[in-house]
Amino acid sequence: MSVFNSLSNRWTSFLLLCLAVCSLITPAVMVKHENFKTCAQSGFCNRNRAYADNALSTSKWAAPYSLDPASVRFDKGVLTGTISKKTTTNEIVRLPLTVAFYESGTARVTLDEEKRQKGDIELRHASKAKKQRYNEAEQWAIVGGTTISTGAATSKDAEKGTTKIVYGPASKFEAVIRHVPFGVEFKRDGETQIKLNDRGLLNMEHWRPKVDKPAPEKKEGDDEKKEGEEAMAAGSDKEMAEDESTWWDESFGGNTDSKPRGPESVALDIEFPGYEHVYGVAEHAGPLSLKETRGGDGKYSEPYRLYNSDVFEYEMDSPMTLYGAIPFMQAHKKDSTVGVFWLNAAETWVDITKATTSANPLSFGIGSSVTTQTHWISEAGLLDVFIFLGPKPQDVIGAYTELTGYTQLPQQFAIAYHQCRWNYVTDEDVRDVDRKFDKYKIPYDVIWLDIEYTEGKKYFTWDPMTFPDPLGMNKQLDEHERKLVAIIDPHIKNEGNYPIVEELKSKDLAVHNKDDTIYEGWCWPGSSYWIDCFSPKGREWWKGLFRYDKFKGTMKNVFIWNDMNEPSVFNGPETTMPKDNLHHDHWEHRDLHNINGMTLVNATYDALLARDKVEDKHHVRPFVLTRSFYSGSQRLGAMWTGDNQAAWPHLEASIPMLLSMGVSGFPFAGADVGGFFGNPSKELLTRWYQAGAFYPFFRGHAHIDTRRREPYLAGEPYTEIITQALRLRYALLPAWYTAFHEASVSGAPIIRPNYYVHPGDEKGFGIDDQFYLGSYGLLAKPVTKEGQEGQDIYLADKEKYYDYFDFWTYEGPGTVNVAAPLDTIPFLMQGGHIIPRRDRPRRSSGLMRYDPFTLVVVLGNSGDAEGTLYLDDGESFDFQDGGYLHRRFSYASSTSTLMSEDLAASTGKKTKEYLKQMEKVRVEKVIIVGAPAAWKGKGEVELSEEQGGKSSAARKVALDWHDKEEGKAAWAVVRDPGVQIGSGWKIAFP
Amino acid sequence: MKAKDKDIAKFYKDATAFTCISNPATALPIARLNDDYCDCPDGSDEPGTSACAHLSPLSPHNPANGAGAAGSNTTLALPGFYCKNKGHVPAYVPFTSVNDGKCDYDVCCDGSEEWEGVGGVKCEDRCQTIGKEWRKQDEARQKSLGTAGKKRKELVAEAGRLRKQVEDRIQSLGTEIEGSEIKVKQLEQEVADVERKEKGRVVKGSVSKKAGKLGVVVGLAKQRTEELRETLERVRGERDSSTSRLQEVERILSTFKEEYNPNFNDEGVKRAVRAWEDYAARDKGPDVDAAHDRDLDAMTKSDKENGLDWEEYEGDDDDSEADVLYAFESYLPPSIRGWLDQKLRNLRSTLIDSGILADTSAPSSSGDSKSVTDAKDRLTAAEKEVEKHRKTLTEHQDDLAKDFGPDDVFRALKDQCVSTDAGEYTYEVCFLSKTTQKPKKGGGHTNMGNFVGLERIVVDDELPPNGKGLGSGERIAMKHENGQHCWNGPNRSTLVVLACSEVNEVWRIVEEEKCVYRMEVGTPAVCEVLGGGGGRAGMEGKKAGGVRDEL
Repeated sequence: MSVFNSLSNRWTSFLLLCLAVCSLITPAVMVKHENFKTCAQSGFCNRNRAYADNALSTSKWAAPYSLDPASVRFDKGVLTGTISKKTTTNEIVRLPLTVAFYESGTARVTLDEEKRQKGDIELRHASKAKKQRYNEAEQWAIVGGTTISTGAATSKDAEKGTTKIVYGPASKFEAVIRHVPFGVEFKRDGETQIKLNDRGLLNMEHWRPKVDKPAPEKKEGDDEKKEGEEAMAAGSDKEMAEDESTWWDESFGGNTDSKPRGPESVALDIEFPGYEHVYGVAEHAGPLSLKETRGGDGKYSEPYRLYNSDVFEYEMDSPMTLYGAIPFMQAHKKDSTVGVFWLNAAETWVDITKATTSANPLSFGIGSSVTTQTHWISEAGLLDVFIFLGPKPQDVIGAYTELTGYTQLPQQFAIAYHQCRWNYVTDEDVRDVDRKFDKYKIPYDVIWLDIEYTEGKKYFTWDPMTFPDPLGMNKQLDEHERKLVAIIDPHIKNEGNYPIVEELKSKDLAVHNKDDTIYEGWCWPGSSYWIDCFSPKGREWWKGLFRYDKFKGTMKNVFIWNDMNEPSVFNGPETTMPKDNLHHDHWEHRDLHNINGMTLVNATYDALLARDKVEDKHHVRPFVLTRSFYSGSQRLGAMWTGDNQAAWPHLEASIPMLLSMGVSGFPFAGADVGGFFGNPSKELLTRWYQAGAFYPFFRGHAHIDTRRREPYLAGEPYTEIITQALRLRYALLPAWYTAFHEASVSGAPIIRPNYYVHPGDEKGFGIDDQFYLGSYGLLAKPVTKEGQEGQDIYLADKEKYYDYFDFWTYEGPGTVNVAAPLDTIPFLMQGGHIIPRRDRPRRSSGLMRYDPFTLVVVLGNSGDAEGTLYLDDGESFDFQDGGYLHRRFSYASSTSTLMSEDLAASTGKKTKEYLKQMEKVRVEKVIIVGAPAAWKGKGEVELSEEQGGKSSAARKVALDWHDKEEGKAAWAVVRDPGVQIGSGWKIAFP
Repeated sequence: MKAKDKDIAKFYKDATAFTCISNPATALPIARLNDDYCDCPDGSDEPGTSACAHLSPLSPHNPANGAGAAGSNTTLALPGFYCKNKGHVPAYVPFTSVNDGKCDYDVCCDGSEEWEGVGGVKCEDRCQTIGKEWRKQDEARQKSLGTAGKKRKELVAEAGRLRKQVEDRIQSLGTEIEGSEIKVKQLEQEVADVERKEKGRVVKGSVSKKAGKLGVVVGLAKQRTEELRETLERVRGERDSSTSRLQEVERILSTFKEEYNPNFNDEGVKRAVRAWEDYAARDKGPDVDAAHDRDLDAMTKSDKENGLDWEEYEGDDDDSEADVLYAFESYLPPSIRGWLDQKLRNLRSTLIDSGILADTSAPSSSGDSKSVTDAKDRLTAAEKEVEKHRKTLTEHQDDLAKDFGPDDVFRALKDQCVSTDAGEYTYEVCFLSKTTQKPKKGGGHTNMGNFVGLERIVVDDELPPNGKGLGSGERIAMKHENGQHCWNGPNRSTLVVLACSEVNEVWRIVEEEKCVYRMEVGTPAVCEVLGGGGGRAGMEGKKAGGVRDEL
């Protein structure tokens, strides 16, 4: 016995030792689940899920919300009315309703709570928090598209008990508002697309005073259940009794939320009848087509969560929240896309379930269809939802981005390659990396500095030991038109002799705690305060900090990275701020949490604009990278997917994540190439560069504890292959820049998923590992698996596709296999497009400014092709004054003519100057892929140029013919047509 | 270099047509030479433009870029754009830098590579100034190299002297060892003699004590054994409880290490984790071992169970034969007693030697008489001395065999230290010893690796104008390994790459990756070795980076 005991003891200690040793060898690679709430641990989420379970479990469920028909008014495109909520104690709560119809065809349903609206409530704990439901989200998120529709009108033929509004383009849209219980059906062409409150899950928790009931006898061990779990226990037995356990305060991870306003959540069910796929509600590490969330095989059991958080080592395939939130969702079915935008900045959870409806009883024999049901739950704020009825994906994204703003047209350098590391440790280190890139002939545009450049993590300072000469460093970078991006975070170190923090304190510009005094938390510098960018004064002050004479050591080629802006607070609940913290105007942090990150970026963007003198005409467009974001952040810069890992699954996940960002109106997105944590194998690094060359935001980054991995360190053949990928990106920059321009005027994604490009192809709706670049028919499917040497690419249409690198020809529809040894990126050109390129390798994109163009004309089944080119100086706002060129190239098989036409919307005072500047920039080569056999042996084309509105005399130029080889297309090259890129011309082929 | 350019120039002599250098099958009309369109698969038709800059394995594959035809040589025929740099040294600029709107004066001081003036750029000819400055620096460099060369000679001479010292020492050690060995032999003999003598002596030894005294001793011993056993038991109990407490603490710490968030960079936490890792990585010492425990069990049993019955010893001893002898002896007159004593000793010795009498002196160490002990001590001392000499000899022989670099030159530098300040630290390298990082603000020094050997590595750096850099070619490097363990990383290591310099100096220190350092150090010791390398300045070094093409 005793022997056995001591033996087992020794075994235990041995195992423990093993455990200890193992934990030393493999760094912990798991997300810290216990740091983040589950729905059950989040009081309002749990309450609303229980509400839904209760409603859905009884067939006689009557939603307690009804619209008083007598209150309904419709005036100039806006319907108003009052909804009455009958409480469990039979009180009536009045909820003002607004339904607005916009000129764009977007409808908006807003619900408020009268008592709170009027401030007719009492707060507990003598709180100074604002009494209203947060109604300022739109001030941050919405920038346009809210012109009230003049055509919207009530319809006479509404059924009894409903109000019907006809609106939208050609009055094809209808909103049918059911009075009791309240609900809305949105129709397009008479067919229902979206239903609000059809399942009766609408819930707006009204204000009520806390009634101190005789305390239920406390059982032993109740205290331990405090962490949100008690909700589970209560409520189940008594059917209608409301679970009040999380109404008045809630604790998690040792932090208690005082909840001075009591329960105040808003929730609504939104149904997409007949739609099987929904996309959006970024940011999550999961598939593009969202999964169901109420359990079951291959489904999540947690709702998608939107609560911007610094999630350390996030996990793959999870609905867990990440750094940013875009509460915009699209539903898609064959040839139809619709969408909703849930404008709420508080913590939000979205449940998704799909119901298969058997054959429609009205149309016998037609197969079953799937309906997606969603349940949106926010902790506080208004119920404010926008409805988009499509029908095309671009219609929905276009309408959404019209509201929240289009992607900023970035400077050209920003879409080239960025080299980052935590950290380049000295200014000499930066100069050395800069020289090494040149030495190895690898192009790059931007080098980055993480937090270590500062003196003791005090932003706006340089460590005098390691960065004694930042200006010298920046000047060296500027010699080859390169930029520096330096990090500036929102936490300001609480330390003496630091003027920034002194000002922050003396001017009272920091976020406050629940007692309305300055909030102190812990972040990189240790004890810190947080700038409150909701405050106009705070933003004004922030703006001043970036002036060249204030942030010494910076100059025009220095740009900013805003990290940790969720905000990340190391010692806060869920690594962020307490929800009862107070911001400007006494809004609680809970009200606006998800917008917080965007306000910092907004202030930084303004600051970068303001640092140049007004009389300095050549303002440069700001560049700001953010980790945290919300709807609208796309106007301000780029985002990246945060702290990923140097592991294959993270490479794989980056593609659906970025596609999701693209269809969420924020396409300027990237993932850390190489993976932030850990050391990638050379193969992984190489594959990651090949994928990264297709990230709209393309940056290599690495954690401070990893080995150096600049491309030139990889060694052969890796360095060579990585350089090819980088040069591919640079050669295609004209196409990328044009795609960005398109995004900046229409919200279109830059890399596009299959459903977006082929909305009628049902087989492709779930595909999220391949994508198209812009409108160029360039189809890429980077390898994301170790050791993989071939790639199956899905071709949606019956069209010719050519391998980008060797013109091997494939034909759709169906799946084709493309060889993909390590030095090859599976990358195809769809027939019918013209792709602009600049093939001369340079040290940076700025040095390509005057290089000639190559046009690749890809002929498909029809024999026609077209493509566009947008070009401007790539740095200033001159394009707003017409300082750009926008061309459309088209090849018509009927006339065998390739021509360049002007697409410019208008001219301005900078047009002439810019075109003059680009006068010598020519087309040096036209490559025709899939060239007609008839050209063989012809040897010449005839071209004429537009000069002063007239055609010049035709001249002849050589045409080199290359015959078809086995499997590969025939191709031809027009040798140096020499025509201007910015003017009109025609090339007549034989 | 000039000659090579003439070699190239001959391809461009023909005024009517041009034949691609590596693809003579392709002939072009002369108008296609330098017309900013790449016609030759090897790019040789565009020596003056960037039109063929894309011809490189670094560019993405493209049939239309390689100018097609399989089998044609697509390696760039030219190393770059040729800058005459009149007044300075001619050089090649990479084609990727031609007509990009930036003057590359570091390579092309005459600015000729921006002949097209794109974006309005004008690169004036600066060769006069740059060339002059360069010549000045080059002169200084040459001078410095001359001095460095002299210094190296001095070092080699010094090394030779040091080597001689070692050789001399080896020789003298040989003699000393010989002498000592003889001494050892003598002493061995002496010990044998003394022992023989001792054996003959009739010893009363410990047993001569009165039985009563023995009884007291036994009693005391018993008591003391008892005490020791009790203490051992108590200490064992304490050990067990400490062990379990330690295990608990280790469990807590390993959980802590596993669950804390390294990304939060809390220095306090990081330090604690680091300390724990260091602790966990260290040799834990003997674990609780079953056999050891069993021994303890046995030891703590009562003496009787261990076969020791004190009672047996507590009673009076019987007189031994020795006592009888002594008793008899005491009645004789001293002179006879002396004689008899001697005889008896001899007899005893004989008896012992022939196995008739038990030898009471040999087995007990305390039994040796002082004279034997002394003799043995002398022997041991002599043996130790031989041992020591031999060890020293081996050391010196090893030292001679060791790689001290060409001409044994590092012998002269061994243990000499040079240091430099970088950031918050002072970095020090002691030749053939170790590298150290010392915080300027004070605090413990960190060992960045101990010297393990010399090796040769190939470097390819551009030499700065002052010549303080590695340049390119093969260099001698000192490898240092197994420095202090690094948090979340390996044991620190440093590669110290050496190049020629007038004085010993640290030029550069970089942490190439987590706790892997590289130092660039100048020293006269490596001048003029490795075929003109050692960071030899001059045209080659200066221009190497500029003209190397990307193939």
